[in-house]
Amino acid sequence: MSTPLIEVHGLAKAFGDTPVLRGVDFTAASGTATVLLGPSGSGKTTVLRSLNVLETPDAGLVRIGDAAVDFSELPDDKGARRRQVRALRSRSGMVFQSHNLFPHKTVLGNLIEGPVQVQGRPEDEAVAEARQLLEQVGLAGREDARPADLSGGQQQRVGIARALALKPDVVLLDEPTSALDPELVGEVLGVVRDLSQQGWTMVIVTHEVRFARDVCDQVLFLDGGVVAERGSAEVLTDPQHERTKQFLRRVLEAR
Amino acid sequence: MKTRNRVLAILGVLLGLSALLAAPATAADGDGRVVRVGTEGTYPPFTFVDPRTEDLTGYDIEVMDAVAKEAGWGEPDYVQSTFDALFPALDADRIDVIANQVTINPEREARYLFTRPYTYSRGVIVTAAGTDDVTSLDDLKGLTAAQSETSNWAQVARDAGATVQSVEGFAQAAELLVQGRVDVIVNDNIAVLDYLASTGSDDIKITGYAGEEVSEQALVFPKSQQALRDQADKALEQLGSDGTLADISEKYFGADVSVENPDEVDVTTDRDPRSWGEVLQDAAWPMLRGAIQGTIPLTAISFAAGLLIGLAVALARMSPSRLLSAPARCYISLIRGTPLLVQLFIFFYGLPQVGVTLPGFLAGCLALSLNVGGYAAEIIRGSILSVPRGQLEAATTIGMERWQAMRRIVLPQAARIAVPPLSNSLLSLVKDTSLVSVILVTDLFREAQNAAAFSQQFMPLYIFAALYYWVICFALSVGQGRLEKRLGRYAV
Repeated sequence: MSTPLIEVHGLAKAFGDTPVLRGVDFTAASGTATVLLGPSGSGKTTVLRSLNVLETPDAGLVRIGDAAVDFSELPDDKGARRRQVRALRSRSGMVFQSHNLFPHKTVLGNLIEGPVQVQGRPEDEAVAEARQLLEQVGLAGREDARPADLSGGQQQRVGIARALALKPDVVLLDEPTSALDPELVGEVLGVVRDLSQQGWTMVIVTHEVRFARDVCDQVLFLDGGVVAERGSAEVLTDPQHERTKQFLRRVLEAR
Repeated sequence: MKTRNRVLAILGVLLGLSALLAAPATAADGDGRVVRVGTEGTYPPFTFVDPRTEDLTGYDIEVMDAVAKEAGWGEPDYVQSTFDALFPALDADRIDVIANQVTINPEREARYLFTRPYTYSRGVIVTAAGTDDVTSLDDLKGLTAAQSETSNWAQVARDAGATVQSVEGFAQAAELLVQGRVDVIVNDNIAVLDYLASTGSDDIKITGYAGEEVSEQALVFPKSQQALRDQADKALEQLGSDGTLADISEKYFGADVSVENPDEVDVTTDRDPRSWGEVLQDAAWPMLRGAIQGTIPLTAISFAAGLLIGLAVALARMSPSRLLSAPARCYISLIRGTPLLVQLFIFFYGLPQVGVTLPGFLAGCLALSLNVGGYAAEIIRGSILSVPRGQLEAATTIGMERWQAMRRIVLPQAARIAVPPLSNSLLSLVKDTSLVSVILVTDLFREAQNAAAFSQQFMPLYIFAALYYWVICFALSVGQGRLEKRLGRYAV
């Protein structure tokens, strides 16, 4: 078996006196989709945000490709620490629950900001790629629109395109459909499904169990800051643990 | 990018311009040196601006000119200010001499150097027309007198048991008397007679002499200018004996007041027969010029510099490092917790006493910039904080460094939020610049004061000045509307 693209080991984090992660381990192979499930407060979003260090774990190791940060043994030197974190961050792109598009920039401006300003790529090249990405998410022709002129679903598709524009090894999606009106959820999930088929490596926090069943290669069910159950998509149809069963029943009934 | 460069370019030009405008008078010792003379310019007939010629003139000014010529100095450099600001200016080495009917008294003699007197006058008691029971200093006990705080006459009134209400000059004092807000004024007989003659007023009257003493007025130098004083003293002696002083005095008073026991003063010549409409017409251009040379550049430079200071301080205040945030907090607290007028005085009159003498315009700009900076810092900080946290996170996830994210993502959004409150600060600043007239900078309001002192047309002139300020502020608020509309296009 080849080396996994993502490796997380012994991840721990507390907010004040409240532990949110108590030793989370998992790996994910290149080209797979990993879904993080769990009740609210189980730590799934914190795991996701630890992968690009939006949250700094207290302990544990995160590796994506050849970039790794061992939070148990951070270098004392601030510069060295920052370089490590920056390298790890550059391996992933993130899609936020509330999209967080830059409202003062056009759709195209949102897409090329990272490639041009951070990665230093030539603007014409970045623009050409951005146009391609917009076509891929079904928004060809909306380059010059402002985020405020788009629907919620369109905004989230721009958010996905912005993450892809960085050409990351991994795409992180944090409840990408939770803030959307129900009739707009489909168009976003459709785009994510396409990504999965194109072989993007993804880590997704979601409550869309049926969707998760369709796309995921691996499910991690978190509870109380640890992985309570893990497995392939079958976990979702035939859970072994009582907590998982309860959770799925509740989520599915709510739909 | 382009806009930013343009703003920087304009800022550079303005700063350069201010340096030119504020270039201090070069004072070389010996022949031809330019002496800086402090004077009110609002105390006719001694020192005032003639609206027909727009020249500073008057008895004291002509005497001073003659002294400078006789002493072999260059054309004097006149600096106008309220009487109360003249002595601090002398202490702060902003002027070399005061030519403003300064009365010799023991307290002043202990601190300053006087020349021989060039005016002999008597103090008189002035009341409203209807008051009949105040005719000597003995009657002043318990009354309220309107005086220039630091003038000799204020001390005379106080010694007689009156409460002193501070005013800017004699014209304002007379106005308070007419309005019944004060009971009495003690002043120089010549100035009062001139006021009565030039205004034709019968609302106030002279009721008696303030004591028996004849008071003597002379030029005042700081103790450090012994040589200058001696030169001036010699010049005055010569001018007295060759009849020059007598000629100047005759012209203004119809009598020679430069000798003891002068003849009866006659100031009945109608100095200003203009109607208030004509006064406004004549004052319009000087006031506009005051706006263009004083008010507007002061506002522009101070606001631009204040914004830069505000941004830097806001970022420092938000820094996790206490080394940066503590001084920033302290600065904001000091600026917001002290009056602007006090800040101006510290920069203009205080700093020279510790060896830092800035030209008036520069001192004004500096004090106003620091003041704007304190308020702008809090506005900018609030605006940055109101940009949603997710924006910074999104910038972080596309790989931006903190500073890059601040510059490209957070600040442009904060700018939009900050426009309305910052516009408020700008409008306040336009009006606050009127305070700089107390630190010897000629601005719109100073010109209005000059015109009012000469013509006594307070109401029309001050309304006119207000109108000027309003026009400037109106134009700025139109600009604000456009800017908001432009930035609003990107609204969420």
